[in-house]
Amino acid sequence: VLCPVSSSLNDEGNALLSIKVSFSNVANVLLDWNDEGDDFCSWRGVICDGNGDGLSVISLNLSNLNLGGEISPAIGDLRNIQSIDLQGNGLTGQIPDEIGNVASLVHLDLSDNLLHGDIPFSISKLKQLEFLNLKNNQLVGTIPSTLTQIPNLKTLDLARNQLRGEIPRILYWNEVLQYLGLRDNSLTGTLSPDICQLSGLWYFDVRGNNLTGPIPDNIGNCTSFEILDISYNQITGEIPYNIGFLQVATLSLQGNRLTGKIPEVIGLMQALAVLDLSENELVGPIPAILGNLSYTGKLYLHGNKLTGPIPPELGNMSKLSYLQLNDNQLVGRIPPELGKLEQLFELNLANNNLEGPIPHNISSCTALNQFNVHGNLLNGSIPLGFRNLESLTYLNLSANSFRGKIPMELGHIINLDTLDLSSNRFSGPVPASVGNLEHLLTLNLSRNNLDGQLPAELGNLRSIVTIDMSFNNLAGHIPVELGQLQNIVSLILNNNNIHGEIPAQLANCLSLASLNISYNNLSGVVPPTRNFSNLSPDSFIGNPLLCGNWLGSICRPYVPK
Amino acid sequence: VLEPEKRLAGPGSSPPTCRSKCGRCSPCKPVHVPIQPGLSFPLEYYPEAWRCKCGNNLFMP
Repeated sequence: VLCPVSSSLNDEGNALLSIKVSFSNVANVLLDWNDEGDDFCSWRGVICDGNGDGLSVISLNLSNLNLGGEISPAIGDLRNIQSIDLQGNGLTGQIPDEIGNVASLVHLDLSDNLLHGDIPFSISKLKQLEFLNLKNNQLVGTIPSTLTQIPNLKTLDLARNQLRGEIPRILYWNEVLQYLGLRDNSLTGTLSPDICQLSGLWYFDVRGNNLTGPIPDNIGNCTSFEILDISYNQITGEIPYNIGFLQVATLSLQGNRLTGKIPEVIGLMQALAVLDLSENELVGPIPAILGNLSYTGKLYLHGNKLTGPIPPELGNMSKLSYLQLNDNQLVGRIPPELGKLEQLFELNLANNNLEGPIPHNISSCTALNQFNVHGNLLNGSIPLGFRNLESLTYLNLSANSFRGKIPMELGHIINLDTLDLSSNRFSGPVPASVGNLEHLLTLNLSRNNLDGQLPAELGNLRSIVTIDMSFNNLAGHIPVELGQLQNIVSLILNNNNIHGEIPAQLANCLSLASLNISYNNLSGVVPPTRNFSNLSPDSFIGNPLLCGNWLGSICRPYVPK
Repeated sequence: VLEPEKRLAGPGSSPPTCRSKCGRCSPCKPVHVPIQPGLSFPLEYYPEAWRCKCGNNLFMP
């Protein structure tokens, strides 16, 4: 005789078995989920709790088990369950309406699956729900405004779906919500002034949608926000003065269509850890008062239309690790004060109108990992102190008016993976010490006035992928040691005065896909090996004494043996 | 001198002072903590918030 208690146990056991049947790829991971016995409370991922009526499932955690298939409507039969975590599987199908029957549910995480269809309205029936994470699925339709009927919802994460329409305004009239993640959907409409009614919210993220209109004038009233990310939308208008009342640690406004100047008041927001105003249409100068942001670690102003000089006061931002001012219209010199930034990791000043030399003080930024001044009007020589920048992996001085010799000391910056000195007026030889840069992937010295021979030490660049020394006055032979370069894909030496024969050892460079040695004084025969025969004649022309299979070659038609 | 955490009538903000925010643990200092908004593009930075840190423990400011 079945007593009522065990019958209710069987109901939940049967519900779990229905859930299993609806999944696929269960063979190994749900091995112990079987109908022999009633001890489903010991099954993988199942937690039960006892009450007066016996044991009942209170938690189901099957996250990251590579499950496929669908979520069974039987999930609605787990009447006492408080937590469902199915994140990180490959579940498809729709979220069953029956989810709304689980009145005790507090925590629902279906993120990182392949769920499609709408967000069921029935979720709004879950009056105990505090945590709802449907991030990274393929959900469509609109955000149900009925979600506001969930009185205790603290976390709502719907990021990375295909949700459309407007964010329901009523969602903002919620004093309990702490986390609102809507990034990377297709939401439209404007940012409502009502967002500041979210008086308990610390995380507001609508990055990567299609929101339009201005930043609400009352934005400073959102005093509970710690993170405000409205980046990569189509927000227009000016940054309101009122933004200075925010208490945020992260202010991400990048990738919109903001116009006007950077408001001075931002310089008073010392709680800022990250300030990102990049990729907008901001004009005017960089306010010197930003130098007051002495706790800010990341400052991104790149990709605007900013004019005027780089304020020396930025050197007071002692916690700064990222400073990106590239792709603006900045003028004047690089302020030596930036040398005070001991924690600076990345400095990008590329594509401005900066002039004068690189101040020696920059060599004091010993944490520097990336230094990019490409595309300015800078002159002078490379500061010898750069040898102390041992953390540097990326050094780009290209497209300026730098002159003088390439200092032998660059060979001490042993972690470099990119060295680009192209399109300057450097002269003298390529220092043999460049061969010490064993991690170097890209070496671009093209379009300078370099002369002398190609150092044999280039053969030590065992990681190198690209060498470009074109458009210089380099002479001598192609070193046979280049044949040791096992990773090189591109070797560009055209428009120099290199003479002698093409070393047959280059045939050992099995990765070599692009070779250009045109317009030199090479002679002899193009080696008749496979990786040369695939190359176009353009790689070789302009060497009057070189014999190969192209129109105008001294020995055409050339027939390899 | 104003205390850093004291709100002024005007605009502006300050990092938390973290005074007595770490329970009995000391020293209790404000730090930047990356907040992961889920699976993110590798090159994308994470938003950061302030937390109070003592040893390896983080506390709300």
